[in-house]
Amino acid sequence: MKTQFNRRGALARLGGILAGVLALPVARTAKAAVQRVFVSSGAARGYDPSKHKWLMCIDVNKCIGCGLCAEACKKENGVPEGPYFRTWIERYIIQKPKPGSGQTRGETLVDSPDGGMHGFPESPVPRDQIEHSFFVPKLCNLCEHSPCVQVCPVGATFDAPDGAVLIDPKYCIGCGFCIQACPYGCRFLSPVTKTAEKCTLCYHRITRGLKPACAEICPTQARIFGDLLNPVPDDPIQKFYEQNRVQVLKPYLGTAPRVLYAGLDKEVR
Amino acid sequence: MRRFQMPPQILRLVLLTLAIVGSYMVARVFLTPATFGQYGWYRGAALEELAARTPVYAGKKACDECHSDILHKLAGDAHKTLSCEACHGVSRTHADDPDILPVKLTGSHCIRCHEANPSRPAWFKQIVVKDHYSGKCTECHIPHQPTQSP
Repeated sequence: MKTQFNRRGALARLGGILAGVLALPVARTAKAAVQRVFVSSGAARGYDPSKHKWLMCIDVNKCIGCGLCAEACKKENGVPEGPYFRTWIERYIIQKPKPGSGQTRGETLVDSPDGGMHGFPESPVPRDQIEHSFFVPKLCNLCEHSPCVQVCPVGATFDAPDGAVLIDPKYCIGCGFCIQACPYGCRFLSPVTKTAEKCTLCYHRITRGLKPACAEICPTQARIFGDLLNPVPDDPIQKFYEQNRVQVLKPYLGTAPRVLYAGLDKEVR
Repeated sequence: MRRFQMPPQILRLVLLTLAIVGSYMVARVFLTPATFGQYGWYRGAALEELAARTPVYAGKKACDECHSDILHKLAGDAHKTLSCEACHGVSRTHADDPDILPVKLTGSHCIRCHEANPSRPAWFKQIVVKDHYSGKCTECHIPHQPTQSP
């Protein structure tokens, strides 16, 4: 069979292709507009999750263990009463080694009464027997490769494009796999909703341009919250990198957390 | 040559399989939420739903709208890193309606941070309260300008 080519036909075809290409974005915008009309939920407008990459930097040398962050988190997020925390503070007390034991350090005591929410009582070890003692604030480690997301059987927990690891409460079936998978113990089963709960980085705040409640309330700026994609002038995150040697928790697990710590000790898990 | 004829039992099996797969596909279209797969293997609308919660803490910026004089004082002294709500408590209602006053906190709140504790970093100002003074903190210290005395 012989194909017939002429100028008119070729131009018409070219025009058709061009019109198709031009119509694509228009069609996409129209589809998005229609979706917006039908699926609006009153959430913060103008927030594009693909244009942010959140992270939290924690300076252990600055944490004074006041517990305001743990308390603020509970109030901000309506976390159930009792031993349920999205963020909490641990107190590490590393004792001096017994004389003649041939060890560099003694036993390590870790406690977190009420998640550190109401501060910490007097140290159970006398002052002269303490080698080091410090507070470590903990929260969701914002893993790049989140074990909790990998094990969820229903797609209820996910890595949002902006780096937050979130739970869809309507999809969670409360199986608890993610709670076991999280190597940092950052999840719990809510006694109220019977679904898994965790730090959302105060998603309702960060999408409105506010800091998470814990970072907002921290009196010594031990918690610094920032965006890797939108550096601000005189960026505190950049300063944090420059002034500190930075570590993550359990680096050997390959989870690549985006919660960075300065001043950690080898005893911290 | 004899024409090939599909055995009826095989035909039934094929039709049954097609019906099962077909009904699965139809059910899937109806049962999958519209935004599932928008960003990944999850419901994209969940992001918006999580963001829809109303913030509880108003944030320092909100305080700055009316109390910029106090914030200016605060910024010049040792308490510059403090958020207003760290001491004054959740003040969202006050930020929305200035007539509703925020909770005023007393000296016990100072102790929360400044009571001596061996776990606190050495650079941080600490006191043993019972050896320090038995009166009110504010008798000697201005909370907004802690290095100055009233």
